[in-house]
Amino acid sequence: MIEVQGLTKSYGDMLALSDVSFTVQKGEVVGFLGQNGAGKSTTMRIIAGSLGASAGIARVGGFDVAENPQKVQSILGYAPETPPLYTNMTVGDYVRFAATIKGVADVDAATKKALGRVGLDGVAHRIIDNLSKGYRQRVGLAQALVHDPKVLVLDEPTSGLDPAQRIEIKNLIQELSAGDDRTVMLSTHVLTEIEAICNRVIIIHKGRIVAQSDLASLAGGAEKKVHVELARPEGAMAALQKVPGVTHVEHDGSRLVVTGERDVREAVAAASIPFGLLSLQGQRLEDTYIQLTTGVTA
Amino acid sequence: MIGALSIARRETSALFNTPVGWIALTAFTFIGGFFFTALLIGYLGAYQDSVLNPMQADQLSVNEWLIQPLFSNLGLIALFILPAVTMRLIAEDRRQRSIELLLTSPIGSFQIALGKFLGGMGFALVMAATTLPYTWFLYATGDPDTGVVLSNYLGFILLCATIVAMGTFCSAMTENQIVAFMMAFAGGLFLWISNWVVQGMEDSPIKTSIDYLSMLKHADSMGKGLIHTQDVVYFLSFIGFFLFATSQRVEALRWR
Repeated sequence: MIEVQGLTKSYGDMLALSDVSFTVQKGEVVGFLGQNGAGKSTTMRIIAGSLGASAGIARVGGFDVAENPQKVQSILGYAPETPPLYTNMTVGDYVRFAATIKGVADVDAATKKALGRVGLDGVAHRIIDNLSKGYRQRVGLAQALVHDPKVLVLDEPTSGLDPAQRIEIKNLIQELSAGDDRTVMLSTHVLTEIEAICNRVIIIHKGRIVAQSDLASLAGGAEKKVHVELARPEGAMAALQKVPGVTHVEHDGSRLVVTGERDVREAVAAASIPFGLLSLQGQRLEDTYIQLTTGVTA
Repeated sequence: MIGALSIARRETSALFNTPVGWIALTAFTFIGGFFFTALLIGYLGAYQDSVLNPMQADQLSVNEWLIQPLFSNLGLIALFILPAVTMRLIAEDRRQRSIELLLTSPIGSFQIALGKFLGGMGFALVMAATTLPYTWFLYATGDPDTGVVLSNYLGFILLCATIVAMGTFCSAMTENQIVAFMMAFAGGLFLWISNWVVQGMEDSPIKTSIDYLSMLKHADSMGKGLIHTQDVVYFLSFIGFFLFATSQRVEALRWR
């Protein structure tokens, strides 16, 4: 649904994006991960058609954003990090305005539906200026949703919100992506959100894509490590190696580190080796992320 | 087109939702009313003189003494006031980032430019409508030449449209509304008085072209009740040029 090829963007001398390529399939919910200034917003703005690329192609639904921006924009909803609000309008008027310029046929119905979806029914008559940040963020989402787009591009939808609001927005995004064949791409630097919402993650660092894969394989890796603490590690080594699924056992001080092709805790426990503590050290998304973006192994 | 019209509607109502629009309108009606009263007093004085002097009575025309100078003065007030109204049209969107809503909606840069221009024109038309009581007064107390009245209105609206188009363009050039105001005002003032510079000059292509640039000259001939194609073309070409330039500028905003 979203197809990006060799996207490059430079601001003067600064190279913000360098040869960025990725694809997002229809119905996928993809997390776009990266540090501040990594190029997340730049990429998303190019996809949404509010910024031109220096080189490369972005396609949404088969249309080239640079050549056919209006075709793309009629099927794409974009919520920038700072919601693009007219703060002296009421919530209802604003969303109605957004619906009109997005070419919605039944403006009133679309407005009502969008307000309902983001939980703004009760505040439709309030002036946006008087709303809390969480509500404003929702108005920004309502604007992106109002023309019922097939593709949603959300730039840090939870930034600057308190934990309760974060959870609300997170649930909302889960609702939006569930069921229908809507494609969602969202950026954030909150990893737990990505783990909760997305089924795939793309990691960008200094304008380059450094990883893109399914969340499960990126976070867990194919191998799991099990730490086994034993009173007498000497004799257990051989016994552990015989446990089904175990590929490697090594000493780590007083512990033994057992590497298996899957979570082998149960197998280890069943082997009736007298262990003190058994803990799974799965590689988490955070570790992968830190490793990829800082070069330091956690 | 629906996009442009809804942007226009939003802009005009935004103007009247903030003090800016009302203050500008108040200033226009106050100063306009002042001019009208002053012109009326002058006219009445001349009328009284003419009772004693029949020669003068022949020259005493409502058109020349009232309508034409009134609209000429109103044009000058518009030159001051409209830039203050148009300065926010795009600059404010850029500053508060609401421009992103427009840029990511399927409407294209020309519709954005046209919508902003028409939004400013909505205000200009309300402003023009506040002069209707003067016109009503002239009809109620005398017998003005309808052709002259209409051509004055046409000239005034075209003049306003030119200033609004230029103001919209200036507003797209910067995030700073004061800068946008000063650019539009300076540009308008230059077009207003550009023929003053060359008045003493001998006829030459330079004089003719600078003379042609002056809004005052084109508005004046309409003030006399003469609608020449070249005057209408003059205003329309300025409006068209600034609309085009604004849409190019909006398009360029996508490339920064």
